[in-house]
Amino acid sequence: MDLLSSLRISSSGLAAQRKRMEAHSSNIANAQTTKTAEGGPYRRKEVVFGSEPARDTFSEILEGELAENAQTVHATEVVHSDKVQMKHDPTHPDADPVTGYVAMPDVNPMVEMANMIEAQRAYESNITAINTTKQMAMKTLEIGRGN
Amino acid sequence: MAIKDIGSFQQTLGNADAKGWSRSVDNNSSDSFNIETGKGFDIEESGGAKSFGEMLSESIGKVNAMQTEANVAMEKLASGESQNLHETLLAVEKADIAFRTMNQVRTKVIDAYREIMKMQI
Amino acid sequence: MDVNDKTLHALTTALNFREMRQELISSNVANANTPGFKAKKLDFEEALARALDVDGQMKMNATDGRHYNVGGGSFNNLEPEIYDNPNGVVSENGNTVDVEAEMAQMAENKLMYDALVQLINKKMGIMKYAINSEK
Repeated sequence: MDLLSSLRISSSGLAAQRKRMEAHSSNIANAQTTKTAEGGPYRRKEVVFGSEPARDTFSEILEGELAENAQTVHATEVVHSDKVQMKHDPTHPDADPVTGYVAMPDVNPMVEMANMIEAQRAYESNITAINTTKQMAMKTLEIGRGN
Repeated sequence: MAIKDIGSFQQTLGNADAKGWSRSVDNNSSDSFNIETGKGFDIEESGGAKSFGEMLSESIGKVNAMQTEANVAMEKLASGESQNLHETLLAVEKADIAFRTMNQVRTKVIDAYREIMKMQI
Repeated sequence: MDVNDKTLHALTTALNFREMRQELISSNVANANTPGFKAKKLDFEEALARALDVDGQMKMNATDGRHYNVGGGSFNNLEPEIYDNPNGVVSENGNTVDVEAEMAQMAENKLMYDALVQLINKKMGIMKYAINSEK
């Protein structure tokens, strides 16, 4: 049923945007982390989105053009950046004793905030889509009521 | 006029001739009218009053036409040809009201018929 | 006015298509950040108008079984047209979704959906009224 499928698609959008928020808020929180469990500074995280057809069971896939074109979205992978920024700070405990440089995460707070705002906007638009779909379904139930 | 007795009363009545009145009003052909044949009455169609049956079938035809109009408006809205939501809804409401009115008229006519059939001759 | 009449069929078909359109718009909105995703549009108005043939202008005779049924009442094989939105604004990751435009589309779709449901209700109501008024 198309409206249930719409709900599934929109909720996949919500999940994906939430993962994106997690990644970027993690970046902001760890902007100064120079020592992690794997050694070395914190690696900046970014999520990559991918889409796939919304219909999962085989019989639904046979439903024609709409089946190929309506896509759910997933945060398919979390990419860890390899870049680090080198900052000259000999007083830092993790500074290299010889050069005085310390490896800081490649996190630019402006970029992270912009990403978070975008993720929030996208989250809201998916919420609106869910509400609209839900209202359409409720309206459908009104056919024949009260006559 | 003084009515002295029955006899003179009948005479007075005899003198009061309605047809004579009408003939004396104005004998121009465009203005004179004849009560008996109904010619010269200024009604919508020339040629006489319509029968009740004709009026009924004409009204039913009008209601049907409104229904068809409403149907066409709905189809145009569904297929996106017309973007006039308000006009479509108005047309549908008009047809709705017309239909319900006609239904009431039908009910009343049937009630009246039943009343008449109940009358004992 | 009978239960299978053309107008009611037109209304319910339009309802189906608008549901599909809502799904496609949801898909566009959910994939607003997916790299390389192209926004899709769904068109059914033309196919429906042709099948309804409201003005009676498109009558063609199907003299052979292989002729397409044009005009007048062939509702059973109506397919919507789904294609890439040509007005998409391409962003740097290849995504062409314009979220604001999609939201506007969604609002209009919902409004027309509601109107269609209301019209269907009206038609059913009149039929039920005609059945119920006895005495």
